[in-house]
Amino acid sequence: MNINGVHIDDTFAEAFNMRGTRVIITALNLKWAYNAANAMTGFATSVIGCGVEAGIERELTPDETPDGRPGVAVLMFAMGSKVLMQQLETRMGQCILTCPTAAAFSGIASDDQISLGKHLRYFGDGNQVSKLIPDANGVNQRYWRIPVMDGEFLTQETTGMVRAIGGGNFLVLGQSQPQVLAACEAAIEAMKKIPNVIMPFPGGVVRSGSKVGSKYPKLFASTNDAFCPTLKGVVNTELDMDIESVMEIVIDGLTFEDIALSMKVGIEAACHLGASAGIKRISAGNYGGKLGQHHFKLQPILQGNLAGATSA
Amino acid sequence: MTALILTLKPPVTTKIDCRLLTPQHLAQKTLAEIKAMRLSQHLIVADVFDVTGENVNQIIFKQATHSLDYVGYQMKSGQITVEGDAGDFIGAAMQGGVLICKGSVGERAGDSMRRGMLLIEGDAGEYCASSMKAGTLGVLGNTGARLGFGMKRGTLLLAQTPTLQATWLDCGWHTLPFLNILYQSFKTLDTRFATLTQMRVQRWMGDVSGLGKAEILVLA
Repeated sequence: MNINGVHIDDTFAEAFNMRGTRVIITALNLKWAYNAANAMTGFATSVIGCGVEAGIERELTPDETPDGRPGVAVLMFAMGSKVLMQQLETRMGQCILTCPTAAAFSGIASDDQISLGKHLRYFGDGNQVSKLIPDANGVNQRYWRIPVMDGEFLTQETTGMVRAIGGGNFLVLGQSQPQVLAACEAAIEAMKKIPNVIMPFPGGVVRSGSKVGSKYPKLFASTNDAFCPTLKGVVNTELDMDIESVMEIVIDGLTFEDIALSMKVGIEAACHLGASAGIKRISAGNYGGKLGQHHFKLQPILQGNLAGATSA
Repeated sequence: MTALILTLKPPVTTKIDCRLLTPQHLAQKTLAEIKAMRLSQHLIVADVFDVTGENVNQIIFKQATHSLDYVGYQMKSGQITVEGDAGDFIGAAMQGGVLICKGSVGERAGDSMRRGMLLIEGDAGEYCASSMKAGTLGVLGNTGARLGFGMKRGTLLLAQTPTLQATWLDCGWHTLPFLNILYQSFKTLDTRFATLTQMRVQRWMGDVSGLGKAEILVLA
């Protein structure tokens, strides 16, 4: 398969079951909503070292937020519900509670509810105020008003937790580092428009793809040497001699279709630059299909078969 | 389903205890059974109300006067609307739901209220929100003496400045984000409270003769 002179490998991205949640962060203005959300989603690139993978899903206009202020939606994913709960509480306490004018609300409905401000309320030292207020459907929602130095910190008591998928990905292979980076930037810009997904790495792009295992017994992951261009001559490489740089875009999302769609628009945006811009191949990272529950096959996805692109 | 409508038959000369006319007490009852319910030793519903409709989760009192006491007493869910005035103890010991009075109410509105929303568009008599434990009580009109007497927790939202009391402490003027959420919930209701947009309020805390965790928010 070939798009605009870019070869699409007949391979798949291997992804895993995760637990996810969405939190709506609002503030006096968008600048402070971003300050809060950037802190909350900081150091959340990979579950391997950060516990969760998190990112800003999109901006919200005042009429999209519960308190009528500008805001952003944050998605957060973890390998299990316990870690997700712990990380959400910690990040709420250190990043949202602390941020001037910020407030936090549930961003997703689910029977599984996890704590947003349920325990954070005790910061109020007995002066916290609970309010049970019906939503537009007449269903009571509990909020906590916690006195803080800038006024009141307002947070909903809980948010929903849902089953989600993490680890959708594709690799962009090209002639030079700047060209591959430009293709990845174009892909990220296109993927940001897709709801229900985040690309958790810096700027949405990761350059240190990993393989399972290491020559060092204590390490369970190490550099993906088959895709390292400087090792082409000495390892069992996946790269032709004209590939000088490889970057990866990792996607976490609420459903298989969400991730598949974001992969499709991302790859198409990268391929739009074409072979003439130094983009040679699109591939994907997997572990031989034995570890992940979800397989995102590149070619069926790019043919528009979003739901049927799995073999897991 | 249409709302259950209880239209008061004039003239009314006695106080009428309406504590049984709540969604939880009327659930599963037929119209005939509701009409036959005994309100006091000498009074059944049909003696004082014309009853129509069927949805007991939406109860409307029409042509209501101050003779109706204990409207919404211990109500747990649903909505009661009083078109007209109500007597004493409206919303007393309320545990949930929404209770709207489009006129004025008597004494001890929301007494010992625990949850839910009581919205009074007119005036409220003495001891409004007395011993209130939690919930939201709004009054657009004037309030009588000894407002929030013994009030423990909960929010009293007032459009008019009340008489100052020694056991309520002024915490100053504030812009409170939660009011927007409260106002949005008002917008789903047929009430003048739906027109509120004022986010700036003067906050009083009390009643410090007791627990003192309640608040009075006075709109600017």
